[in-house]
Amino acid sequence: MSDWKFMVRQLAKNPLSMAGIIIIFIFVIIAIFAPLIAPTPEGHRDPYMIPRDGYSATPTLPSEEHIFGTTEGQYDIFYGVIWGTRSAFHVGLVVIGIVLSVGLVLGSLAGYFGGVIDEIIMRLTDIFLAFPALILAMAIVAALGPSLRSVMIALTVVSWPSYARLIRGDILQVREEDYIEASRGIGASNFRVIMRHVLPNAIYPTLVMASLDIGAVVLAAAALSFLGLGAPEGYADWGQLTSFARNWIVGPTGDPLKYWFAVTIPGLFILFFVLGWNLLGDAFRDILDPRLARR
Amino acid sequence: MENIIRIRDLAVRFHTYEGVVHAIDDLDLDIRQGETLGIVGETGSGKTMTALAILRLIPYPGRIESGSIAFFDRDLHSEIELLKLSEDNMRSIRGNKISMVFQEPGAALNPVYTIGDQISEVFLLHRRRLLGKRANEQVDRLLRDGDGFAAGIKRPFWRWQRRLYNKIAQESNPFEPRFLSHVPLFRRLLWRLKNESELLTVDMLKDVEIPDAARVAVHYPHELSGGMKQRAVIAMALACSPELLIADEPTTSLDVTIQAQMLELFRRIKVEKGASVLFITHNLGVASEVCDRVAVMYAGRVCEVTSVEELFLNPSHPYTKALLDAVPMPGKDLQTIPGQLADPLNPPAGCRFHPRCPSATQVCQQEKAKLKEIGKDHMVACHLF
Amino acid sequence: MELRSYIIRRLILLIPVLFGVTIFIFGITMLFSPIERASLYVTDPRQMGNLQAVIELYGLDQPFWVQYGNWMGEVLTGNLGWSSVVSMPVWDAIWHFMPTTLELGIFATPIIIFTGVFFGTQAAAHKDRPLDHGTRVAAIFGWSLPTFWLGLVLLMVFYGYFTGLLPPSRLSVPMELLVNSAEFTRYTHINTLDAILNLNGPVLLDALRHLILPVITLIVVQMAFIMRLMRSSMLESLGRGYILTARAKGLPERVVVNKHARRNALIPVLTVAGYLFAGMMNGVVITETIFTFKGIGWWAWQSAVRLDIASILGFALFNAVLFVLVNLVVDILYTRVDPRVRLGGTIQ
Repeated sequence: MSDWKFMVRQLAKNPLSMAGIIIIFIFVIIAIFAPLIAPTPEGHRDPYMIPRDGYSATPTLPSEEHIFGTTEGQYDIFYGVIWGTRSAFHVGLVVIGIVLSVGLVLGSLAGYFGGVIDEIIMRLTDIFLAFPALILAMAIVAALGPSLRSVMIALTVVSWPSYARLIRGDILQVREEDYIEASRGIGASNFRVIMRHVLPNAIYPTLVMASLDIGAVVLAAAALSFLGLGAPEGYADWGQLTSFARNWIVGPTGDPLKYWFAVTIPGLFILFFVLGWNLLGDAFRDILDPRLARR
Repeated sequence: MENIIRIRDLAVRFHTYEGVVHAIDDLDLDIRQGETLGIVGETGSGKTMTALAILRLIPYPGRIESGSIAFFDRDLHSEIELLKLSEDNMRSIRGNKISMVFQEPGAALNPVYTIGDQISEVFLLHRRRLLGKRANEQVDRLLRDGDGFAAGIKRPFWRWQRRLYNKIAQESNPFEPRFLSHVPLFRRLLWRLKNESELLTVDMLKDVEIPDAARVAVHYPHELSGGMKQRAVIAMALACSPELLIADEPTTSLDVTIQAQMLELFRRIKVEKGASVLFITHNLGVASEVCDRVAVMYAGRVCEVTSVEELFLNPSHPYTKALLDAVPMPGKDLQTIPGQLADPLNPPAGCRFHPRCPSATQVCQQEKAKLKEIGKDHMVACHLF
Repeated sequence: MELRSYIIRRLILLIPVLFGVTIFIFGITMLFSPIERASLYVTDPRQMGNLQAVIELYGLDQPFWVQYGNWMGEVLTGNLGWSSVVSMPVWDAIWHFMPTTLELGIFATPIIIFTGVFFGTQAAAHKDRPLDHGTRVAAIFGWSLPTFWLGLVLLMVFYGYFTGLLPPSRLSVPMELLVNSAEFTRYTHINTLDAILNLNGPVLLDALRHLILPVITLIVVQMAFIMRLMRSSMLESLGRGYILTARAKGLPERVVVNKHARRNALIPVLTVAGYLFAGMMNGVVITETIFTFKGIGWWAWQSAVRLDIASILGFALFNAVLFVLVNLVVDILYTRVDPRVRLGGTIQ
């Protein structure tokens, strides 16, 4: 499809999208090479648990040994943010992957077949959407016990309705197009029509939303971890790391910004990660804008 | 024969992602006072762009690159070069001296405002002095005839209002930014202007034969049928008695029966208002019903211009002949014009029509043809003449 | 009357949704053990000591439907259980914490809407020019900010670095004492409003000072969202036929944009307003936690962390009902703003 080529060219031209791609690329590199960048010390069993250098409650300043310093409880921040990249990708991709699939299936069913199926699925999404995402996620995580897995489950449960709705909407639009009539007229089965005609055309806005949402999911997961409802203490998770800084936002009088690194650094990682995906998603959205004069 | 519009060497180009599109090239066109000139051509021939160029409403990424459009202003008794006017002055001409009616009345009307509102807007914009005068007269009447206790209390307010409306009636430039009018509350004080404009609006709607005009005015566009909407749009365009009315395919989106009524309306406008009309259409039949003269356009250029009878009796340009031949007739095989429309990105050199022309010669491939007079009031741009 | 029957129709459709919502919420509780769930049925602190009796009394080891029925019965009589976190019935807790959250909402919502709409409109009207690009970058940036991090950084700078300039929590200590004393009448428990009603300047200023940072934290993300939405909605609106007509009438560009385009562009933004409200609740939880504003969000967080089931469910239910009602209001407003939705049919 020359559509793809055009899209890639547009992406390349837009400085914002290029910035987004570069940022994401950097994070991907960090995630892949985490063991090299921040090697797990000998004898440490779970690489996702941040190594501790003592048990003192006061964060230590950045030094040669701890490039970004340590948090309360002496967790190495550098290690934490590097391996946290892996957690972030893990959470984001898994949640969005599941949500996309579930949303695609349910949305297609609802949109294509309409009628009772549509009504049931729509009422179902209504129910889920009646909750603000974070609140519902909080309730689910509280019920399942705080852990990263609970967070992922909660976020999946919370996010799928929007996708189902979106896909259903797109399919409703596409369904009325003449070429769908035409292919059904020559005897194509429902399944074939959906797969070959309806979905490919309906999928673009969904991709836009999905790419934006990877950032949103990671943000939500970080928020939950920050509130103590996500990754366990000491786990390499950005939100978790930030929560350590809560008591240290103000240092001793005379040097109030002493522990700035404990607050700022994990947060910056979150910010840039989400920013990268948002830039990309935003650029996608602009490109897929049907009003853009093309041929 | 005075020309109300004189277009010379107009060029409109669009700078798009794929390249430069020549929407209009070397256009020469005259619209005479009081006549209804039709522009006929296929989609993409540049008809709409010509209209938009006159009003300087060419959308981005298009631009008027060169040429001149002269407008003879009846009130000022002078010729104005439209392409050199400031935006402010241009705005005082749009909707006022030159106005436009579009193809899709449904799309042309704003769905969130009533019909009456949208037409009143034109009066409030261009006829403030008139409205001020009428409001003034209204207050005068109240001061004269009003008696009783209530009138006694309101009298000072009325006197103050009279002064206010008097001032507006004497405003010289409607676009002069008046500081106070930006304050939302102050605008409320001018409610009499709105009243007067509504009266004028209802009159206008009656003029275009909309039944029950007062009731229609408070309805929203989606509550009207296609024909009524188009009448409303025409009312909006005629509100300030423009000297030139541009109608871009006004009947194309309507059913045939409504179409007939609409054409009747246009004929009436011609007779009663004495306005010049630029009537754009792709339908030769419609053109023959309303137009005095017709210009045929192809690929951004004018091929032939003559009176409507002469065009049908004695079509000279090969394209015109092909168009007339292509009209389906019972008993005749369907004639088509071979080839494809000129690619706007890469138009043929020389005469644009030459790749499809049965009588093309060597010259046609190299040189553009200029409009030449070949008969009484009959101009053709073709090397055959 | 059209409007009344529409409202009634919508309210009726609400019932199955609320029904589903309550089932869903209750379903979540099934993931907890009977002892934990017992707190849902408790009405005063003494019962907490003898939860086994409560379990038997309310049949907490019985099938789902029986329990659901019981619970719904309790809920409909106003008993949402006992909040162990704040030691008061859940129902009371909601009303106790509401004013704080309301105060934040009162300040945040208009700012979000007005600035979002304004910048979105301007960005669309000056498309591809510096203002547009600037707004866009700012919006993407704002959208990417983790709310909790923003709050912390703001505190770090304005409370830490500029020592005590903009402190957390609702009021400073002396003001807190004043507000709770006899000299100050509590009408609404909303500090700023009460201060105005009491004609007390210092309290008002103090309350405002404490509100600045939380409100900023709350609005940044929402504002970015509204800005982007408004921009794309405006661009859509500006591409329509009636804009060309408006220009052809000779209207100044300012009027074309503000009067004709914007009104149409606001329609889809309004429908999203419901989601805005939801987003606010999310932000409120985090903001109240960081700035120690003891409002509903703070209570929800405490309950979640300390596994106070009754509170969590009470909060979720409260939220669901509110959300559904807000959507209803939005839908009704929609019919007022867009004439096409109100009536239909043609005139001949």
